[in-house]
Amino acid sequence: MWRGGRTGASILCSILVTALCSLSCGSRAIDLRPVTFQQWQRELASLKGKIVVVDLWATWCVPCIERFPHMVQLYNQYKDRGVTFVSLSVDDREDKQALETARQFLRKQNATFPNYLMNENISQSFEKLDIEGVPDVFVYDPAGRRRYALNGNDPNRQFTEKDVDDAVARLVAER
Amino acid sequence: MKQRFRAIVGITIAFAFLTSATLVYGGKFNSTINIGMQAPVFTNLPATDGKSYSMSDFKEDVLVLVFLADHCPWVKGGEPDLIKLAADYKGKSVRFVGIAINLREEDTLPAMKVRVQQAGYNFLYVHDASQEIGRKYGATHTPEYFVLDKNRRIIYTGLLTNSPALLEGRAPRYTNGPPSQFYVRDAVDAATAGKMPAVTETRPQGCTLEYTSR
Repeated sequence: MWRGGRTGASILCSILVTALCSLSCGSRAIDLRPVTFQQWQRELASLKGKIVVVDLWATWCVPCIERFPHMVQLYNQYKDRGVTFVSLSVDDREDKQALETARQFLRKQNATFPNYLMNENISQSFEKLDIEGVPDVFVYDPAGRRRYALNGNDPNRQFTEKDVDDAVARLVAER
Repeated sequence: MKQRFRAIVGITIAFAFLTSATLVYGGKFNSTINIGMQAPVFTNLPATDGKSYSMSDFKEDVLVLVFLADHCPWVKGGEPDLIKLAADYKGKSVRFVGIAINLREEDTLPAMKVRVQQAGYNFLYVHDASQEIGRKYGATHTPEYFVLDKNRRIIYTGLLTNSPALLEGRAPRYTNGPPSQFYVRDAVDAATAGKMPAVTETRPQGCTLEYTSR
């Protein structure tokens, strides 16, 4: 009786775990993967052959947070059409609280694409990525060439969500 | 004939020198201004002290303009060093002016007044709701500095130091170790001495200013 009860309990337990996992394990797998600039370049090179959209962001960047859902939406729209999406955070790698905030944010957004963290000091990240701030969106063609570096570096030509849509649509149409 | 040849050589050398100077001082990170050019002016911008100011109101030899946004952790991180710098030049012919152009509620005058009190700003802080002054300077990030000499030429633009500080949590953290190059201070000292600073432009780094699209 006791033994049977224990078996029943363990079956119930595993059903419960499976049920819970189907709800949250996917989002729990969402994490930040630290990469040095060199590793980042290797990651990018490994994606050659696909259109790649890189969302550069940070938790301290209000417009990045506001625009992130649009990136997730674009990902869902294009993920089965040969377009790869990744995010690259330039948060302070030494600020554990900021990194936890970033992870929670990505899970909440259900950002199931690869999410990287620049494992360099922030100033170096800006220099090496050749950026002045975020949000920035880089779009690469299948040959691995960066065709769009959408940024906010000109007051009269700051990029919009539509610019991202158009860039992706143009590269998809080229294929 | 010889004289004419010499004149031509002289003009060519002078031209080459001027051209190279222009190239050296070109706006590497700024889409709008170049080092050495006459600084764009602003008129009647409301300040947190309740008055309005024009650039012509400032008679000091050196003018330091810094684009700020109160919500920005890079602005908050850099505040202590900015305040200290302004204090160091108190009583000298150097004027510091903070400029905000964002239209978010947390970056406009009512919030700016609170920030001035909370952080203890010891410099003038104006807001430009038209954003025109930001466009004229090509300012796109905060904090972004512009140092103007006595003739109101732009002699420096970019970062305060080579290690901008970020405030997320309790204390600002330098992002590139303890600062070892003090660009704005050097530019102010150079301007005071009637010279150009050794470094005239650095990559701005921080929050992106948000312009309304046209």
